[in-house]
Amino acid sequence: MLQYFDPRKDYGTPASLSEKLVTLEIDGVETCVPEGTSVMRAAALMDINIPKLCATDNLEAYGSCRLCAVQIEGRRGTPASCTTPAEQGMKVWTQNEKLAKLRRNIMELYISDHPLDCLTCPANGDCELQDMAGAVGLREVRYGFDGENHLDAPKDTSNPYFTFDASKCIVCSRCVRACEEVQGTFALTIDGRGFDSKVAAGQNESFLDSECVSCGACVQACPTATLSENSIIELGQPEHSVVTTCAYCGVGCSFRAEMKGDQLVRMVPDKGGDANHGHSCVKGRFAFGYATHNDRIKTPMIRDSIDQPWKEVGWEEAISFAANRLKSIQSEHGRESIGGITSSRCTNEETYLVQKLIRAAFGNNNTDTCARVCHSPTGYGLKQTLGESAGTQTFDSIMKSDCVLVIGANPTDAHPVFGSMMRRRLREGASLIVADPREIDLLKTPHLGNALHLPLRPGSNVAMVNALAHVVITEGLEDTDFIAKRCETDAYNKWRAFISEKRNSPEEVEEITGVSAKAVREAARNFAKAPNAAIYYGLGVTEHSQGSTMVMGIANLALATGNIGRDGVGVNPLRGQNNVQGSCDMGSFPHELPGYQHVSDPIARGRFEAAWGVSLDDEPGLRIPNMFDAAIAGQFRALYVQGEDIAQSDPNTQHVEAALKALDCLIVQDIFLNETAKFAHVLLPGSSFLEKNGTFTNAERRINRVRKVMPAVAGKEDWEVTVDLANALGYPMSYNHPSEIMDEIASLAPSFAGVSYEKLDKHGSLQWPCNDQFPDGSPIMHMESFPMPEGKGHFAITEFVPTTERANRKFPLLLTTGRILSQYNVGAQTRRTDNQAWHDEDILELHPHDAEERGISDGDWLGITSRAGHTVLRARISVRMQPGVVYTTFHHPGSGANVITTNNSDWATNCPEYKVTAVQVEKVSQPSEWQKDFVANHQRQHKFLAEATVAAASEE
Amino acid sequence: MHQTEQEHLIDMINQIAINNISLGDDSVVADMIAGHVKKFWPRRMKVILNDYVVNDGGERLHPAALLASKKLSKEG
Repeated sequence: MLQYFDPRKDYGTPASLSEKLVTLEIDGVETCVPEGTSVMRAAALMDINIPKLCATDNLEAYGSCRLCAVQIEGRRGTPASCTTPAEQGMKVWTQNEKLAKLRRNIMELYISDHPLDCLTCPANGDCELQDMAGAVGLREVRYGFDGENHLDAPKDTSNPYFTFDASKCIVCSRCVRACEEVQGTFALTIDGRGFDSKVAAGQNESFLDSECVSCGACVQACPTATLSENSIIELGQPEHSVVTTCAYCGVGCSFRAEMKGDQLVRMVPDKGGDANHGHSCVKGRFAFGYATHNDRIKTPMIRDSIDQPWKEVGWEEAISFAANRLKSIQSEHGRESIGGITSSRCTNEETYLVQKLIRAAFGNNNTDTCARVCHSPTGYGLKQTLGESAGTQTFDSIMKSDCVLVIGANPTDAHPVFGSMMRRRLREGASLIVADPREIDLLKTPHLGNALHLPLRPGSNVAMVNALAHVVITEGLEDTDFIAKRCETDAYNKWRAFISEKRNSPEEVEEITGVSAKAVREAARNFAKAPNAAIYYGLGVTEHSQGSTMVMGIANLALATGNIGRDGVGVNPLRGQNNVQGSCDMGSFPHELPGYQHVSDPIARGRFEAAWGVSLDDEPGLRIPNMFDAAIAGQFRALYVQGEDIAQSDPNTQHVEAALKALDCLIVQDIFLNETAKFAHVLLPGSSFLEKNGTFTNAERRINRVRKVMPAVAGKEDWEVTVDLANALGYPMSYNHPSEIMDEIASLAPSFAGVSYEKLDKHGSLQWPCNDQFPDGSPIMHMESFPMPEGKGHFAITEFVPTTERANRKFPLLLTTGRILSQYNVGAQTRRTDNQAWHDEDILELHPHDAEERGISDGDWLGITSRAGHTVLRARISVRMQPGVVYTTFHHPGSGANVITTNNSDWATNCPEYKVTAVQVEKVSQPSEWQKDFVANHQRQHKFLAEATVAAASEE
Repeated sequence: MHQTEQEHLIDMINQIAINNISLGDDSVVADMIAGHVKKFWPRRMKVILNDYVVNDGGERLHPAALLASKKLSKEG
């Protein structure tokens, strides 16, 4: 019998990964399954669907509902098929009179304490309880409904996205198990026993007040209407769905956008998604309301000066206005006086077109992307050492790791779905090492085994990674075979001599890192001795003056211990935005054409020149910080920004604002009037990820399809706008569909040569490199060799250089910035959703000792002053911080978190040093001057926007 | 904290020098710096650096950075 796997079907229990097969007979038909497969799953694979309620295939079998009872030859009774493994020679019957009676009796008991309001129930049309009542042929409930029951149990409506209706609960524990096994939060439990047992959040709190992170796993697992999305309660069941990719973080989860016509009813994580395997977080699952928010910009707008109201115009007029401005500025100030910024939130195809527009139509290489301010050191550091600017693994690889080293990352907040997978592996017994100034939530993983926290001081990363490598080398823990076979000998010997120097020992750097030498030695030994050890890192590594050095230090550590080139190991940058990997791949950086081909390479450049029909500049263009400097100097006069809010996200806000004000023409293409757009002369409406076709590439190099589910709010997808602008500038562009753009990318970027929409639809997703050598993509990189001279990995010398941003008497504390689960980046999307319920303002966290010294209490207004500026935030006293270190997020523009961050940056890439700013903190009674100006300008610019709409309406 | 563009570039190239000081003597470090600037810096920044060295002598540059700048000037 042909067995095929349909990821949307629920097979009842998880798949077994055993390679040994067993043959059994079910209802007289022979089948063959991997050893360890449940009888229920074996039957489901044959399309024999045994009734079930407590079983679902993303949770371990539980065996509580008894509905899935079967009869097995030679066995007594009626075992549960979900908990019974298939065995060689087994004969199973799933349907007979005895089983039918048993199942009807069970259903009868369930229904005797369940509301009979099916026709008005939110789950009507999607209720497993209803389906099972039908499947077992329940026709009567002999017990009546008069006895003690739960029909009046109260509803919990505290969560903004879903409702818990206890009267409909059958206590199957699927929600509790989903919270434990899938999400790893353990926020839910079954409270009480017998008839009194009920699902409880936290310590019998409301869902909102409990530890629940609103990932939606419980809602998805619920077989009844007990846990229902509020959108389903309000709108009813969807009528069709489209598989697409989430536009939040770099995990790149696949979702089914479930629709009624062009109205999005809910986003359900897709079980067939290779990155997320059916799991989600609060952002991707629920926070999509921004796409239809009233603040969406729906009409192009122009103005001569930022002190004028906006004027609504048609697309043609806006594009023509922008093109004329750009041409006139270039004719007056030169070819290099204009540039553009691509978006890590837009698709690969859109990013590719923007950099093509800049290189081919603007005639210069002044293109950059927000990766400049997050993972540009990853691109540099990994290219220098491993030969490719990307992480080496799949997310699934972690399930084979024995030791997980997390440096400067907070996956449970910033990459929550991968954070859950990581927690699952930690519960299975992998050891954990966290190098981070804060005690991140990963360290509080329930059932965590061996874990070590290295609470290093901000700015001491390189000293730490050198000390770890020093222990590996001086204690003889290196993988000599791997080094001999896979790495450059000369570079290794030089590095070995450097790293062995006493000044790199844990004892010598203890004063720099603030971490005991004993703990560092223990961590190094654990890492080096683990059969498979993997490194995961985030912006706590890259956003430093030594970000690139640290990335190279991480690669050195992986090479020295032989942890590259197989499952369970590797160097894994956790990318921030949905398509930050893709925006780098697509040639957004000023020195690299798509596929990381340097602009000075005449062969590569020649191929682009032939395809694009123009001569290309062979010199790198301006990076974002260089654009700002040049703008203030009056030499850079116009900027096209697609889907990026540099005024909020980039450091030293006052410097950024001065640069934007200095521009003669700022063209912003965005879905909202963001902070940058307040300085713009042309505002082009952007399209959300729901309104376009394309692809995103996630942190594991996985190219996933983005599919249009509703029309673009202003009539154009973002790529169409770039095409129009190019044509208006006199550079012809013509594409009918983003698939044609991908075909062009594949023809020019060798690592994408095998990628096409047809192949993506066939495979679901592809990980680059995907070409003749790797026709189905490359889940794990560097398995045989590195894309380096002679195929060898390169050890880089990583000298520790302290940052110049040091604490002193005037600025005695170190500020570090980061992210929180419920908000995303600058918050433009999540602030326009109910995620505000969890985080409606940025807070300054500080240690009780620092608070006490300054007489600060929880909730006080604090003035935070750095060498760059001053802002005011509310205080939260937290032991997660070390004394001397304070922390905040930058999700709300009025907070001015980046008013205080400085121009310090990574030596190799200019990635800003967001993670170290020396500050002083004191109690204050009013907002900062910048915050007062911000409020005034915000009101003025929104007035200009409102006046544009009114004027357009009166003209009509 | 305001810096001119030239001051910023001086800090940037000195930072490259200091971060690669362990590669060898000034000449080896200068080769690395020159290669880095050539590969990553835009034309405009190279011109400002060159002007600073030619007109002001480059005295605020780290010795290896000054050597690198002169090397770049020679290569044109």
